[in-house]
Amino acid sequence: MHISAGIDVGSGAVKAVVMRTDGREEETILGSASSRIRRREVDKVLDEVFATAVEQAGVDVIHYVATTGEGAEFSWATGHFYGMTTHARGALYLAPQSRAVLDVGALHTRAVAMDERGRVVDYKMTSQCASGSGQFLENIARYLGVSHDEIGPLSLQAGQPEKVSSICAVLAETDVINMVSRGITTADILRGVHESMADRFARLLRSLTFDGAVFVSGGLASDVGMLGALRDALAKRTAAGGGAPEVVTHDTAIFAGAIGAALWGGYRYRKIGQGGVAWTAKAA
Amino acid sequence: MSKRAEIVEWARDLYEDLDFTSVRRWLDVHPGRKACGYLPVYAPREVIHAAGMLPVGIHGGGDRLEIIRGDAFYQSYICHLPRSVIELAQSGRLSMLSAVLFPSTCDVIRNLSGIWKLLYPDVYVRYIDVPQVPDPEAAADFWVGELRRLLGDLSAISGHHPSDDEIRSSIALYNDVRGVIRQLYALRQQRPWDVPTEELYLLMRAGEVIPPEEFIVRARAYLGAVEAEPKRPRDNSRVVVTGAFCEQPPLGLIKSIERAGCYVVDDDFLLGNRFVTGVVGLEGDPLRSLAESFLHNEQRTSVMYEGDASGKRQLMRRRVKDAGADGIIFAAPSFCDPALLDQPMLRAGAEQAGIPCIAFKYAENSGQFQQFREQAGTFSDSIKLWGGGTAA
Repeated sequence: MHISAGIDVGSGAVKAVVMRTDGREEETILGSASSRIRRREVDKVLDEVFATAVEQAGVDVIHYVATTGEGAEFSWATGHFYGMTTHARGALYLAPQSRAVLDVGALHTRAVAMDERGRVVDYKMTSQCASGSGQFLENIARYLGVSHDEIGPLSLQAGQPEKVSSICAVLAETDVINMVSRGITTADILRGVHESMADRFARLLRSLTFDGAVFVSGGLASDVGMLGALRDALAKRTAAGGGAPEVVTHDTAIFAGAIGAALWGGYRYRKIGQGGVAWTAKAA
Repeated sequence: MSKRAEIVEWARDLYEDLDFTSVRRWLDVHPGRKACGYLPVYAPREVIHAAGMLPVGIHGGGDRLEIIRGDAFYQSYICHLPRSVIELAQSGRLSMLSAVLFPSTCDVIRNLSGIWKLLYPDVYVRYIDVPQVPDPEAAADFWVGELRRLLGDLSAISGHHPSDDEIRSSIALYNDVRGVIRQLYALRQQRPWDVPTEELYLLMRAGEVIPPEEFIVRARAYLGAVEAEPKRPRDNSRVVVTGAFCEQPPLGLIKSIERAGCYVVDDDFLLGNRFVTGVVGLEGDPLRSLAESFLHNEQRTSVMYEGDASGKRQLMRRRVKDAGADGIIFAAPSFCDPALLDQPMLRAGAEQAGIPCIAFKYAENSGQFQQFREQAGTFSDSIKLWGGGTAA
């Protein structure tokens, strides 16, 4: 039995999975863990998350430890894969009908088009401005005194969403402060922010050519308000006669990068046939 | 701190020191001695050393120097190196140099030698016209003459007129320098996980501003430390990085390539220190031996005449094969005529042979590495997962 681990170090959180990767029919998640970094040392968070995932998996040998994101320096790593490559593969594993991934990270958002094997064929990223990122939404929620879990449900209750600048995070924050002082409801403000971000994401996705569903990965995949706004934005931006792509996600979408890393690691292990092990409980 | 880390930190300090403190310190402890600077790519350091001077490599200010005066001398379509060299000089950082050599790398470097003559009339300035003719006999005669004139001029400045045996000693010393560099490069090619290119590069840069004797000691100590502290191999792609023989890439770019999952197994960074590929003979006329070694070496690069019409197309295949590489990263400085004019020929030859390639341009002061990481990362993935490269 081949065991691979995938570790995704993002700018806001570390995610790890341990998987059985004997071949596409035998791909199973055995353990997973994640943790927000929150100004802690990334290396320590990484060690903790990896140890938790390994413990949950109950394995004492890992054949290939694959990193992605900012995890290239992890001491147990066998290999490193680029984020787009791993999110594409992870999306395909979690939702096989996916042909595009929208990875909304803390600082950047990426739209990736892929083929049926998970090979990246095109991609687009948000530019430097943070208004298309998860961190921006978190900041807004904090100003409004709303917890992360409340954002999505509240946004769905909006009656008259207020338009927010979709260009600049600083201007958008100023917009929100003005709205609060004008007495706009929290739900309408959040929906306005969601629509602003979704509009950017839809533009990114529309600049790619793909034929299939859009898989939303990253921390915002569980935000039902964002998913709703994205579906609306894609429908709005779809040319007459064409259908908007289906938007899908998964309960474990936050692990898409780590899953993709583990799966590619398993593939490499089989391909290079190195026969060794990357990690053992004894050595650790 | 481990021995390896200690050596790397020592090298990093020298790399980051734009005031050339090590050179000034050397001049302080050697009263009456002089220092001679040289620009990329090739300068005969043996001749400088034989004249009793300290050879000092001038490789610009990288990403650690704000250009204020340098931009006034060059148009926007000229590479970054001469601006930062001018900036270093105009800010007084190169005031300890009694002579500066400008090798015939390109028109910009030639032009810089003229600017130097006008700005610093008290400094010895020499444009070094290396032989480019296909006739080896005529080339050798010409180059021996040039070396002799250079030695005469430098000796007049230093006040030390070396005997042939002293010149041979300098040549032997640089044979040792090249020998230890060859060892380092060979070890990196065999076990790139044990000799990260970031560390190798820092060591090479340190070697540009310290006496060769000290470099040999440090480089051998590094080799020893590598054997004593082996690292774990990783599942990375093996790449050749080429095009960076003059203006040097920022360290962040080298790190980005490595962090993206690539082992650099061959490069042309600081190419001057291994321009002569063989061991220079110590018999007979030492300057003729040096000249002939220069002419009969196997180094092929954009700043040298290529007699074989298909040579450029063959070159990268050979380098990839020799290095056991999976692909090529063409990393050239923006506006670098020699690198960018050769690149289409080099790349065409490589692609014809089915070698995966990508290309990007940098400046020595590039501060954003995200795009390089993206390109290098997707390139490495495509080699590992799909067995090929992506167009760039």
